[in-house]
Amino acid sequence: MPHHLRDKYAIVGVGYTPQGKIDGRTALSFHLQACANAINDAGVKRKDIDGLIIYRSFTPLLGEPEVTPYLVAQHLGISPKILSQEANCARGHLLHAIAFLEAGLCNYVLISYGDNALSGGRRFLSEATHGESFKDNAAFGEFGLVSNYAMAARRAMFEFQTGPDIWKEIAVSQRKWANLNPRAVMYDRGLTYADYLKAKWVVEPFRTYDTCLISDGGRAFIVTSLERAKDLKQTPALIMGFGSYHPSIDIHQSDYMAGPTGALESGKQALQMADITIDDITACEIYDCFTYTVEITLQDYGFFGPGEGKDWFSDGRIAPGGDLPVNTSGGLLSEAYFMGLTPLTEAVMQIMGRCGERQLGPKTATKEPEIVLVSDNGGVFQSHATMILRRL
Amino acid sequence: MGYDKPIPEPNADTSPFWDGCRRHQLRFQRCSDCGHIRFPASFLCPGCHSFDSQWIESIGRGKIYSFAIYHVAFDQAFKDSLPYVTAIVELAEGPRLLTNIVGCRPSDVRCDMPVEVVWDDTAAKFALPKFRPLP
Repeated sequence: MPHHLRDKYAIVGVGYTPQGKIDGRTALSFHLQACANAINDAGVKRKDIDGLIIYRSFTPLLGEPEVTPYLVAQHLGISPKILSQEANCARGHLLHAIAFLEAGLCNYVLISYGDNALSGGRRFLSEATHGESFKDNAAFGEFGLVSNYAMAARRAMFEFQTGPDIWKEIAVSQRKWANLNPRAVMYDRGLTYADYLKAKWVVEPFRTYDTCLISDGGRAFIVTSLERAKDLKQTPALIMGFGSYHPSIDIHQSDYMAGPTGALESGKQALQMADITIDDITACEIYDCFTYTVEITLQDYGFFGPGEGKDWFSDGRIAPGGDLPVNTSGGLLSEAYFMGLTPLTEAVMQIMGRCGERQLGPKTATKEPEIVLVSDNGGVFQSHATMILRRL
Repeated sequence: MGYDKPIPEPNADTSPFWDGCRRHQLRFQRCSDCGHIRFPASFLCPGCHSFDSQWIESIGRGKIYSFAIYHVAFDQAFKDSLPYVTAIVELAEGPRLLTNIVGCRPSDVRCDMPVEVVWDDTAAKFALPKFRPLP
């Protein structure tokens, strides 16, 4: 018997904003623009939005107030039944939205992220949460997420011989997708293997191109029931399955740096609900804060075994024209950084067939985006969420 | 010039750890009920939820679980230290902690390399437990 939540809910609209380096804008303004555009894109009446969930806010920059769900709702002119905000990157927005819908508490849930990280000079040094006080780690010169993930990647190099040879395939393939996406920050900039290998170490084993962008901008989407979706503007992206799993253990005590991360259990749940196998997936949009995150996530989902990444990624498998396209907007590495909304909204737009030159199918010599697997990841592998979307 | 790098910020849970460091004792909590040895310091045993624990002294030896090499100074106080190694060391008693690897070139550091504690007293009021390769 199919899972009772399979194909019951759908994503019905996406909101974009200008992105990259956009001076003179508050973080709140990006939330508002993304939300207003998502409402308009879906064709939902503003007053019908009865759930609002926003991603975590970071320390406000440029003298601004903290972005709260109250502020976003106030400025949107809505008074929802459910207001919620994630704390510290525990990624559960879609699951929460579906829980609210399924419980009959809401009919249309709006989910949003926005930040002026680039123009405000955010460096993501203190956003990771550890068991120790920030200064206890800073005393040893440890700052931020780059070195946390670099340590995980180093352990994986030791355990199953991964490394820059594999990660360069991810960076270069995603850049090729970004070169087809006029919205992407790196649209006009190519990237070769030589460029990748010539780049400076940031925190070894990561070079510049292993790390995601820091962006100004925002992104939002709306989820509702399939029944309601049929009365709206867009052809909906159906939610076939989802899962989440939060190992929660700080990277300093983690025994899963080299996998299996939360992706293993989360992916299993999502595939089971969708009632498909990994072979049915036609494309992936994977949370890619770092190149290694893409590798370990796909590995834990079961696309290849530990140490088999080298063969699997070769021959442009995830690039335009490849057998399994991954991160078709350019992703967090080459499009823009809007947390899990960069991958999720790209999956929605691909399924809706609204991706222009990068559209999956004949245009990019790839399979049609019938079923797209999406991941979100928070903390340093402490939180993982999986979504499987399909065409109606 | 004084010491300009960040210094630890002990709280009610972690003060006994940092107090031990000042005396060059690397200490962890051992659960009085199930014997589980934990770090970071905590009110509760994550294994059996006992509230009772004793502080025990580590032999100060372990192996490098993983490491990263900083080539960029995210804080200017570390500019003259580049390149430097942050690492997770797994102590013989079980706990893992963040530290630095000193006493060898960054390019010689390896996962699973045996190491021993060496105390860095350059920070006023604090001693930092760092690790060097065992000969």
